[in-house]
Amino acid sequence: MGETTSSFFEALSGAGRQPLLAHASGTLRFELSDGGETHRWLVSVDRGEITVSRARRKADCVIRADRRLFEGMARGEVNATAAVLRGAIEVEGDPQLLVLFQRILPGPPAKSEAQR
Amino acid sequence: MSPDVVNILDGNTFVVSDERGDVEATPTDTAGLFSFDTRFLSTWVLTVNGERLNALSTDDLSYFRARFFLVPGTGTVYVDSKLSVIRERAVSEGFHETLTVLNHDEKPIDLTLRIEAGSDFADLFEVKDALDKKGEYRQDVEKGRLVLTYRRETFERATAIESSPAADIDPSGLTFRIRVDPHDSWTAQLAVVTRLVVSGQVRRTPGSERALRRARSGMEADLRRWISSAPRLESDWEALNDTYRRSLVDLAALRFSPLSAGGRSLPAAGLPWFMTMFGRDSIFTSLQALPFTPQLAATTLLELGIRQGTRIDDFRDEDPGRILHEMRYGEMTAFEERPHSPYFGSADATPLFVVLLDEYERWTGDRRLVRRLELEARSALNWIDEYADLQSNGYISYQRRNEETGLENQCWKDSWDSISYRDGGLPGFPRATCELQGYAYDAKIRGARLARLVWRDGAFADRLEREAADLKRRFNRDFWVADGEYFALALDPEGNQVDALSSNNGHLLWSGIVDRAKAKAVARHLLGRRLFSGWGVRTLAEGESRYNPIGYHVGTVWPFDNSLIAWGLRRYGFKEEAARVAVGILEAAELFSGRLPEAFGGYERMVTKYPVQYPTACSPQAWSTGAPLLLLRTMLGLEPVGDNLVVDPALPVRIGRLELLDIPGRWGHVDAFGRGRFAQPARQTTSRSAAKRR
Repeated sequence: MGETTSSFFEALSGAGRQPLLAHASGTLRFELSDGGETHRWLVSVDRGEITVSRARRKADCVIRADRRLFEGMARGEVNATAAVLRGAIEVEGDPQLLVLFQRILPGPPAKSEAQR
Repeated sequence: MSPDVVNILDGNTFVVSDERGDVEATPTDTAGLFSFDTRFLSTWVLTVNGERLNALSTDDLSYFRARFFLVPGTGTVYVDSKLSVIRERAVSEGFHETLTVLNHDEKPIDLTLRIEAGSDFADLFEVKDALDKKGEYRQDVEKGRLVLTYRRETFERATAIESSPAADIDPSGLTFRIRVDPHDSWTAQLAVVTRLVVSGQVRRTPGSERALRRARSGMEADLRRWISSAPRLESDWEALNDTYRRSLVDLAALRFSPLSAGGRSLPAAGLPWFMTMFGRDSIFTSLQALPFTPQLAATTLLELGIRQGTRIDDFRDEDPGRILHEMRYGEMTAFEERPHSPYFGSADATPLFVVLLDEYERWTGDRRLVRRLELEARSALNWIDEYADLQSNGYISYQRRNEETGLENQCWKDSWDSISYRDGGLPGFPRATCELQGYAYDAKIRGARLARLVWRDGAFADRLEREAADLKRRFNRDFWVADGEYFALALDPEGNQVDALSSNNGHLLWSGIVDRAKAKAVARHLLGRRLFSGWGVRTLAEGESRYNPIGYHVGTVWPFDNSLIAWGLRRYGFKEEAARVAVGILEAAELFSGRLPEAFGGYERMVTKYPVQYPTACSPQAWSTGAPLLLLRTMLGLEPVGDNLVVDPALPVRIGRLELLDIPGRWGHVDAFGRGRFAQPARQTTSRSAAKRR
């Protein structure tokens, strides 16, 4: 299991209310494949309040991706929409939740970000 | 576009074929079946006994259905065939085609029908630029169907073709060997189904007559509902009634449901290249259509809001709070060879988002949506000052950060030479075009109203109003070309005026940023000989160095532009002037059979007598489709005031009677009536004989 993935979800869990998701509610399950294994993370969003667990519950939106690709997303290096379009991420259920979830992902590490 | 090309569409799925119904695409033309920016069929050719057919007639039955009457033969004038073929095609998740062969002879006939099928799976961007493909192709014959597949890494697009009755299928097409009895007919159903990224099986679409009928009747019922829920127009100007109906039908055809919108639709920008979500086009079209189909605005606001920028991304020209410019779904976007996932390089969509939100509330009273989008609206307002003021001079300006595939010009006049000085010189970047400042002003004024009314934040409202007042004061000082008495097209990077006279002045009236004392001079220019052609206001004034009556943004007349100009004139009390612009454009619409093109030539009306279509303009174009709607609103002087709709018509005698019935809004439904009162100047009257000559 990648360190980055765990720390991403841990940070998300401890980050408190996400104002950018104030109007989002629903559950997303990330199924991240890593070699032969699949690691599942359940993210529940309740009007901006986020809880993260490993519970195996039914989710409104299931996102399947390779663990490394997901870590790229978490670092802002991989654009999730483009990845969905090229089939590198599979989405089942309500895709709008993934569109909203992208709001809290970082942007690409670019020099203009440091300048601002 | 050549006249024999037939377009039918549903959302962003469309078919472009020749008059026989055949598709033989070359790498650079737009023939084919397209869906989500990918060509799913580039070859679809019917032969009978090895011979191509000839078209006797082609009917557009509706925007999603077409019918082709064909006969075998050499294409000479004299046709005497014992055989005819009818192809009827309807677009929905690909397309369905009913193929009917009629034997008019007294003898039975044995025939070999062949459909050649193939796909290059080109991305729309590749069709425009003729680029090479990087993936691999497959053709599989499986269980009674032909599946064409294109694969590049995890990217996969497929087209499944099946028929009822079953055909002999090979990797490049379908063959039917049939016998048709005397005076009898033979029919086959063909289904072409497009498949996107989704995993698993190709979605089965039963090729049965019943399923086909169901798909058709569902879409027809939907179109009937769409038209019957819009206000009814009655007038003694027959052509205006036709234009209105054409606009409603085209607007229905241009509805587009983004992949993640749960079936809700918003206006796409135009056929065939622009069947996707555009910030600017979707917002303007929703604004134009607000009094008629307010639900379009709600979806536009929600969908653009959900995809609002949240980070700095140079490739996509994204900033926090920025509203997207364009979304695409094709291969080049998927592999980040193009930035449209989505691309944010537009400087006007963000303030216009706030303008639309406020205008939507004024019409519908839907405060729930205004509350729902409070965060997005505040972020958009914040973008204006925080991210769009590239020169720290208090004005919005633009300069792309993606220098390879980003857009150089991020205003609606986005061609390379659209922003020029009088002497034809082009300014450097960043550019602060004038209409952007007007939109920013309007966004702040309207944002303040929403802050006070819905978000209950008086301090924010006060701040926005102070900023707006300051912006207006500075703008009227810095952009005013004193010796010409109009507003400059832009400020250049040095802060100097880009001093050409342009139609942008009309947008400034619309936004309200123009000092009262200056409005009369602006209106005089808009209706003056240099800008007004007799049909409408030219994008760039005659006499400017780059003026060209068929230059895309440097002299043509854009119906959409004129609809906003008329609204702007009305806003400053120039009722008759507004109606002159409105009638000019609507008379042009009459000569375009009710469907206004994106742009037409800026030639003097008295000289050409009829409007000259701009050579490559695409049609129907959403904001041209919306123009007659906004012009009707303008002429009738429809304005929501509190919970009432004020009607204050100002019509020329050209229109004897104009009634718009059942206008939806926060008042329920109301009717508006108007009668022609004032005479038009002589150079304006339509020449009926000229129209006929055309």
